[in-house]
Amino acid sequence: MQENDHSIVRAVLAGDKEAYGALVHAHSGSVFRVAFRMMGNEADAEEIVQEAFLRGYQRLESFQQRASFGTWVYRIAVNCALDRIKRPGIEAEYRAGDESDPEEKTVQVETQDADPERALLSREISAVQERAMQRLTPTEKTAFVLRHHEDRSVSEIAEVLGIAPNAAKNAVFRAVQKLRRELAPLRGMA
Amino acid sequence: MKHLSEEAMVELYYGEGEGDASAHVKACRECAAQYAELTQSLDAMSPVVVPAKDAQYGERVWQALEPRLIPYEKKARGWFGWSLSGWTGWKAATLALGCAMLLAVAFAGGRYWERITAKTENSAGNKNPQTTQPTVVVVLTDHLDRTERLLVALEHADSQDHVENAQLQSEARELLVSNRLYRTTAKHAKDPALAGALDRLEGVLAEIANDPNLTAEDLQRVRSEMNTQGILFEIRVLKTRTTDQGNKTNSGRGASI
Repeated sequence: MQENDHSIVRAVLAGDKEAYGALVHAHSGSVFRVAFRMMGNEADAEEIVQEAFLRGYQRLESFQQRASFGTWVYRIAVNCALDRIKRPGIEAEYRAGDESDPEEKTVQVETQDADPERALLSREISAVQERAMQRLTPTEKTAFVLRHHEDRSVSEIAEVLGIAPNAAKNAVFRAVQKLRRELAPLRGMA
Repeated sequence: MKHLSEEAMVELYYGEGEGDASAHVKACRECAAQYAELTQSLDAMSPVVVPAKDAQYGERVWQALEPRLIPYEKKARGWFGWSLSGWTGWKAATLALGCAMLLAVAFAGGRYWERITAKTENSAGNKNPQTTQPTVVVVLTDHLDRTERLLVALEHADSQDHVENAQLQSEARELLVSNRLYRTTAKHAKDPALAGALDRLEGVLAEIANDPNLTAEDLQRVRSEMNTQGILFEIRVLKTRTTDQGNKTNSGRGASI
């Protein structure tokens, strides 16, 4: 797969623009997944996917052949999402989650319960979780999403965020501490 | 018995802890209870359900993206990616010969220059192996100076002054880039005290630099959570150390920077 990706990159750089389509087909799923986990909604995630592949194409000459294209475009997507979260307008919108309709702002979480009471409780828990996530700084949020949901190692997170591994580890730790504090009232409810 | 810190438990949860931590949790009841509580809260963070995308999703992304892409210029790629299109055999041979002659001239010139330089140095009779060190020390001292000023400003920044906060943030962004280079260099030079302090500093700089809307509360949080007072103290100690190093080098040379 990796070797194939490398030959496609070479073809694109040699002028075959259409070849880039194969890379988009192969990696758009994983890029969408991380974008959705970071942005929390489908529309923003889809925009991040577009932006990541566009930036990837524009910087393709800097792609080093020893790396994996999938990992490379994944990192670009995380940075696109981080940039977007950092924009003051978006951040204000995120933080306004408390006042707006929780149904609209809340990320869906897994619920296998058909019982309406359990479903309601589950929705309530997910709303609290989402609010807790919004209170994290962009660095903490990204570090937590990558560690907890995407199962990325501390060194990978450090590389994506462009910080030292220790700083990445601390960001994950601070996120966990804050989330635990916020979610403490829910203990025993779930 | 020394109990596990919360940080060590978080590492253990994510499978990055040391083997000792796991053994300790098994042996210590108190830590086992705390670890169980941590596990319960982290497990309760329900996985986000990512909407399923059909097989056509990739195609739709491509269709939307394709018109925005400008094709790369077509190149016939030769050795090391050089474009050799339009070059016939004799032209390429001439180029190769030219390159070889240039290389030979450069080599001979280099040797001649080396001899002249060595002669000049000998006649000066004042060779010092640390001639470049003062420059390094000055640059590092400058970085530590700027960092110290930023941390002092951070300690006293409690107003709602957006301009001041923006300046602080822009300074943090600049320092973050140079700090990364110094940290890597200190690590390679096996200077754990400097590397460790720069590492902790990087966390603070990243927090300030990446905050989209830096408020007085955010600054207060960074100060309390990341022990900026302690880092400021470390920076001052390191500054004294590097200044001393610089002075020693200078007195050895009998000159000032």
